[in-house]
Amino acid sequence: MTHSRRTHRRCDGLARRDFIQTGLSALGGFGLVDLLRMQAACAEESKAASKAATRCIFIWMDGGPSHHETFDTKPDAPSEIRGIFDPIRSNVSGIDVGEHIPKIAQIMNRVTVIRSITHKDPGHGGGNHYLTTGCPTPTSVACGAKVSFHPSFGSVIAKERGSTNGLPPYIQFALPSPLRSGGPNFLGSKYAPFYISNNPNNPDFSVSDVTLPPGISSGRATTRESLRRSVDQLKRITDAAANDPARSMDNFYEQAVGLITSPQAVKAFDLSLEPESVRAEYGHTMVGQQCLLARRMIEAGAPFVTVQHAGWDHHGNIFPYLKNRYLPIFDTAFSALIRDMDQRGLLENTLVLALGEFGRTPKINKNAGRDHWPSAMSVVAAGAGVPRGEVIGATDIQGNSPIERPLKVEDFAATLYTKMGIDPHKEYVTPLGRPVPIVNGGQPISELF
Amino acid sequence: MTSARLVSVAFVTLLTVTSIAADQTALHIEPGERTLVGNEARQQLLVTETTAGRDLDRTRDVIFSSVNPKIASVDSNGVVRPVSDGTTAIIASVNGVSARTEFTVSRSGEGLPVNFANDIVPVLSKAGCNAGSCHGKQSGQNGFKLSVFGFDPAFDYAALVSEARGRRVFAVDADQSLLLQKATNRVPHGGGQKFPVGSTEYRRLHRWIQQGMPKGRPDDPVVVGIRITPSERVLSEQTEQQVIVSAELSDGTIRDVTNESQYETNDEVVADVDRHGLVQTTRVAGEAAIMARYLEFVATSQVTVPLTAIPSADELQASWKSQHFIDRLVATKWMKLNLLPSEASSDATFLRRAFLDVIGRLPTVAETREFLSSTAVDKRTQLIDSLLQRPEYADFSAVRWADLLRVNQETLGAKSAYVFDTWLRHAFRENMPYDQFVQELITAQGGSNHDGETNFYKAFPKPNDLTIAVSQVFLGVRLECARCHHHPYEKWGQDDFFGMSAFFPRLKQKKGADGEDILFVADKGEVTHPKTKSVVAPKVLLGGPLEIPATEDRRHPLAEWMTSRENKFVARTMANRVWAHLMGRGLVEPIDDMRATNPATNEPLLSALATDFVEHNFDIKHLFRTIMTSDVYQLSSLPNSTNVRDTRNYSRRYRKRLSAEVLLDAVCDVTGEPSAFTGMPAGTRAVQLWNNRLASAFLDVFGRPHRKSVCECERLSETSLGQVLHLMNAPVVNDKIASPTSQAARLAKSDLSPEEIITEMYLAALSRFPTEQELKVAKSIYSAPESSRRSATEDVLWALINTAEFVLND
Repeated sequence: MTHSRRTHRRCDGLARRDFIQTGLSALGGFGLVDLLRMQAACAEESKAASKAATRCIFIWMDGGPSHHETFDTKPDAPSEIRGIFDPIRSNVSGIDVGEHIPKIAQIMNRVTVIRSITHKDPGHGGGNHYLTTGCPTPTSVACGAKVSFHPSFGSVIAKERGSTNGLPPYIQFALPSPLRSGGPNFLGSKYAPFYISNNPNNPDFSVSDVTLPPGISSGRATTRESLRRSVDQLKRITDAAANDPARSMDNFYEQAVGLITSPQAVKAFDLSLEPESVRAEYGHTMVGQQCLLARRMIEAGAPFVTVQHAGWDHHGNIFPYLKNRYLPIFDTAFSALIRDMDQRGLLENTLVLALGEFGRTPKINKNAGRDHWPSAMSVVAAGAGVPRGEVIGATDIQGNSPIERPLKVEDFAATLYTKMGIDPHKEYVTPLGRPVPIVNGGQPISELF
Repeated sequence: MTSARLVSVAFVTLLTVTSIAADQTALHIEPGERTLVGNEARQQLLVTETTAGRDLDRTRDVIFSSVNPKIASVDSNGVVRPVSDGTTAIIASVNGVSARTEFTVSRSGEGLPVNFANDIVPVLSKAGCNAGSCHGKQSGQNGFKLSVFGFDPAFDYAALVSEARGRRVFAVDADQSLLLQKATNRVPHGGGQKFPVGSTEYRRLHRWIQQGMPKGRPDDPVVVGIRITPSERVLSEQTEQQVIVSAELSDGTIRDVTNESQYETNDEVVADVDRHGLVQTTRVAGEAAIMARYLEFVATSQVTVPLTAIPSADELQASWKSQHFIDRLVATKWMKLNLLPSEASSDATFLRRAFLDVIGRLPTVAETREFLSSTAVDKRTQLIDSLLQRPEYADFSAVRWADLLRVNQETLGAKSAYVFDTWLRHAFRENMPYDQFVQELITAQGGSNHDGETNFYKAFPKPNDLTIAVSQVFLGVRLECARCHHHPYEKWGQDDFFGMSAFFPRLKQKKGADGEDILFVADKGEVTHPKTKSVVAPKVLLGGPLEIPATEDRRHPLAEWMTSRENKFVARTMANRVWAHLMGRGLVEPIDDMRATNPATNEPLLSALATDFVEHNFDIKHLFRTIMTSDVYQLSSLPNSTNVRDTRNYSRRYRKRLSAEVLLDAVCDVTGEPSAFTGMPAGTRAVQLWNNRLASAFLDVFGRPHRKSVCECERLSETSLGQVLHLMNAPVVNDKIASPTSQAARLAKSDLSPEEIITEMYLAALSRFPTEQELKVAKSIYSAPESSRRSATEDVLWALINTAEFVLND
């Protein structure tokens, strides 16, 4: 028989079993303070190991933003390619950006633009998978597909880094819905994202169920939690290939306790602690307030947060959409995030990335839109040692494809992991025994280090 | 109590078969004899070693040689290519054993005339050009559209040759054709490089363009079928198997299309396949269907990987005695895979399982006590029978069907949703035979406020929506793809889709009194084929066009076909649905995607279940009872050393999370505090709600579906951090525990001792008595200085609700 009761390790040398014993013998007398002290002791240990550990805010621009109207303008191309917007100067000489991101133009000295990432999957389904996992889909999938063949960036980081201060290691705004391919795949539900599905721009916003219910003291909560572990006697099936849902629940209870008992976490989720001036600076939009909340969570130690700005799939009427809605929202939110992070020193060890699944066709189509174009796309990166005020690579005069420093998605993925202190070519063995590298090939982009 | 029943005599038979003639080795090469015609011909060889009655692929191990390399060459992977005309032989040898096959080469200096449909379309398919995510997309890709998966060669020919002012192909200078420039990425291509200059694919397209883009002659032979070799094979873990795919042409010739076929596995957990047709098994025992696709043809190779560890003799001694047909058919499969079943579940586990599966609620304390203390030999069967008689069976069944039939008040309107829901509950309460259930829905007529079943046509108002819903829900066939193109992995095409659609165009709605929608059948209305623009006659799947008198409601012959005892779809689909509900996994998964290329994990069992269901007049309760009285249903979830990784063959019970409504009702039952749903009478249970959009954070976080799709997969069954946090902290749960009228408060006020209180709560929540150790731990809470009797009771209740044992159906 292979099933046995698992002993949960809270940190080196301190098993969850001990915690239960302590809790039970002291019963109500063992309160939150004691629990926190124990956690602090654990945290000290791990902090030493990961002092400079990098974190990441991953801004997902679902649909595929146009590179022409943002970070790779083509003023010298014919009008059916150039579009109707003009480039404007940024605060770095030689780097121009689209005219509708004027605030971002003023923070270009703090970021690097990568203009030469190129791939071959023109579908949303496959493109989402590629750019959020670093791995292409093995077979072509439909545009509408939500598929998972490989663990997402966030899930790998959750596995490699674990949580700090009780914050879930992989937080994802499910706004409007979870990322298509943002799950853990074979890593298992333990590394699934913690979804925030409430809109942080709503006045009554809160993250659901992360605080103790009214009338339950921390001491009592501790008693309950100890008791829960003692009474949960259902035998677990330890072989991961057996897919025992009881084991998933164990993982989630462990995360949940860490989260609830962390004052840093609860504080991080509380947007009302931000002064109105700051909230306004990020913009009173769903995207702006996600960015602000992401900053708070990163500040509290969350290693990976996915912010979502969906809806960039502009096959028709691209110019009014971009001008009136998408670009102003992004401009305000992204520029505020970079400036705020920088002022707080958070940019030192936080990688901020903004990207979608592909760029858009150089030639404007008959509906005054741009279609899918994976041959060229722009990615903006900042923080964690990424150079300030640089551009990597270049596309041809029409924005068709890279003519300088062509980069694969795997190079981008390898960069992300390397920045996070994770060997991108480390091999995992799936529960079924197949060796799978985190990233299949690819080299970190040297200019970013 | 049912004892553990294990295995059978047939294992022994299996062992004797594998032990004979261990030292005889034979090498066999396929194909036996072949002619290569034209300079592009090629043939993949397959070399099989037979040792001890077992076939082993040695294609990648043997040394190949050509007797006369001037006639034909062979590479190390076993691919034979023509060099010059003549005959020769290819020899494969390994370890001193060899095999040979004869080849004739003719017209080796010629590029054969190209036929667009036979020769070009497969190249476009294999390169992915016509995939649904690229140019095969409905809207095409960047102005260039191909028929998806190449189902319409005439359309593709026009797209390549006539459109874009002929720039795509340029016969005068084939290399300058946009088609080749894009495919090789010499001109910027969103899809990047598909194949390099000079590759086989490039040469084929180049030759076609150079020849002036021939369509082919009308009398050119056409492909009439494909064959995959081997069609089935038993493989070890972590081994390779090459497959070869041959196309048979209408002139009787055979052509190797291994290189041009596309491959897919239906279970990469067991076996994967690459683009060259090389199958690779993993470390997991089981079965997989390897599918090859070429043009519109599909063929599958069934791969079986048994566990390498043969069960020990002792284990084999204990035998699986059950005569139940399900048990015999499941055991046959275990023997093939060397799996041993888990032990039988305990009475308490069985009790909780049966209650949750049939009526979607926990047994009460009294029911649990009674069952556990009963000494009746047939008490499990008695319990199954009594549960099937309970009204909650109808509620719980109706919820699942309301999901499928999209009983959604946002789309139907409140009144319609309510009467449709009521009709469903009524049907299950009456145990309406499933054929009648189908008949009544399909032939519904009348007013949406009175005849609940007519709302089926309100949920799916258009003939095409109906075609998708009827085929997926009742026939277990996903026809949606066939609306636009030939289904890539199935035989269905647009003729099937619109033939089905043609049953419905005469359905009309008019407004009746009180704004009611009246569904009636008009005497006019046809469906036209989008491609031929001609009127399509109604046609059932696998049938011919029907001639239906103008006065007859076309739906009647449809319903007659669906409910006929010979219908190949309806009973199977329902049997698979009920099996999936009770056993935690369908024999076919996804449960509504039945096709030759997605075979059942146990086809004899699925057939037998369907036959039994029909023979018992489509009695759904009989189907439940048949499955639940099998020993397989009653197995424990705890694995043994052979079946821990079995997630397909039911050799152990698969645990599942309680669904949203059932879990909420369970929380209400154990706390004694019913839910208060807006606008519903006090005491309404979640499984009784007709409105699935009633506000409930609990139901949402546990995956209640929005009822926007006809797929059962819309209901989430996973666990998540959000769910755990909700059970721990949500006021809705904690208020129930702490309410002054809650079960905890009542027990605390009673005369019962702490042991008795704890026992009551264990019986209520987990349907079993606590162990000595559990009693001791829980009791210590009562004597803690800061606890009161009430708070201690609440804490134990909270803890029980937050266990895996409570949340899961074990």
